[in-house]
Amino acid sequence: MNKDAQMRATINQKLIETGERERLKELLRAKLIECGWKDQLKAHCKDVIKEKGLEHVTVDDLVAEITPKGRALVPDSVKKELLQRIRT
Amino acid sequence: MKMEEMSLSGLDNSKLEAIAHEIYTDLVEDACLGLCFEVHRAVKCGYFFLDDTDPDSMKDFEIVDQPGVDIFGQVYNQWKNKECVCPNCSRSIAASRFAPHLEKCLGMGRNSSRIANRRIASSNNMNKSESDQEDNDDINDNDWSYGSEKKAKKRKSDKNPNSPRRSKSLKHKNGELSGNSDPFKYSNSSGINYETLGPEELRSLLTTQCGVISEHTKKMCTRSLRCPQHTDEQRRSVRVYLLGPSASLPEAEGSVENEGFDVSESQAIMSRLQWDGSSDISPSDSASSKASTNNSESRKTKKKKPHLSLVGGTPGLSSSKKKKPKPPAPPTPSIYDDIN
Repeated sequence: MNKDAQMRATINQKLIETGERERLKELLRAKLIECGWKDQLKAHCKDVIKEKGLEHVTVDDLVAEITPKGRALVPDSVKKELLQRIRT
Repeated sequence: MKMEEMSLSGLDNSKLEAIAHEIYTDLVEDACLGLCFEVHRAVKCGYFFLDDTDPDSMKDFEIVDQPGVDIFGQVYNQWKNKECVCPNCSRSIAASRFAPHLEKCLGMGRNSSRIANRRIASSNNMNKSESDQEDNDDINDNDWSYGSEKKAKKRKSDKNPNSPRRSKSLKHKNGELSGNSDPFKYSNSSGINYETLGPEELRSLLTTQCGVISEHTKKMCTRSLRCPQHTDEQRRSVRVYLLGPSASLPEAEGSVENEGFDVSESQAIMSRLQWDGSSDISPSDSASSKASTNNSESRKTKKKKPHLSLVGGTPGLSSSKKKKPKPPAPPTPSIYDDIN
């Protein structure tokens, strides 16, 4: 188990070192904007903020509200493509 | 990479998949976090709701998607709003006629360049023939809508009977030419270069013409003493500059002459009217009206020829000149010769 965690750490390290992680992130962002994910999430943000009142919004709140929704909203095609890229 | 491969080989497939998934969720969360930061900053800075408007105004400006109607719900009219304003002569012209008009108005394009070539070629011979060509061009140029079209017709009717005479006047001028070497100094379209003139010539010129020196071309205005483009003040200062302080503007005489002339010579009035109508307009247009006034002018000079021959050759003889109409357009060399 310990070995497993270590392995994970090395892989992450490797990803960051080679800049692959940045590249993947950029790709993901482009894809998500392209498919309207960002707009959907923004609309959701709007609802959340209206609910809470403009002045009482914190980043933590937003993250808590948005992240699960964001994860759910990612289209399958984008997910598949990204996983493919990660594997290679 | 080698190390990774090594480690990858040590893992089974499901574990690899799990790791990939983990990386993926990491990335997605990153993206979410980025968005959250963005939104939060927008909220705190107060520009998050800027693009929202109230719903009824949204309804007002809703995009209309129906056949035969543009996105604002207006009926698209094919023949409306298709007038262009010419930047040169600031008339509004139907869009379909705009390009040909510009060609003529600005002196560019195929036809006009041909005209220009001809003009260059013939500039050494006869100013007259060249302006004739321009005339014809202008007659064909019925770009203008309604009112100006009438004018063009009038011009046509005015000119066509002239054409035989025109050729006569040309010959007449040729005959005169041999006796006088002056005429080439005055190019009719561009004004007179005052530096080339002697004092006597200058004096005679200034008694008949406006003579104000243009800032741009450094040429003298060749129109009448009452030409609308320049003020009396300008004329006076030019005379003072060229002839010394003793020279004055013969304004009163000019007006008297003009009146007497107006009564007698209806033809010239016609041409003058024409000139007034189109004085502010395109170069080719003004050139044509110049030519038309020149025609009437040269006809007249022929009538007076016997009289002129008596006084001919002495510049500055204002008695003979007074009977002459003041042409609103610059006189051509031929006229000038006749006067003197």
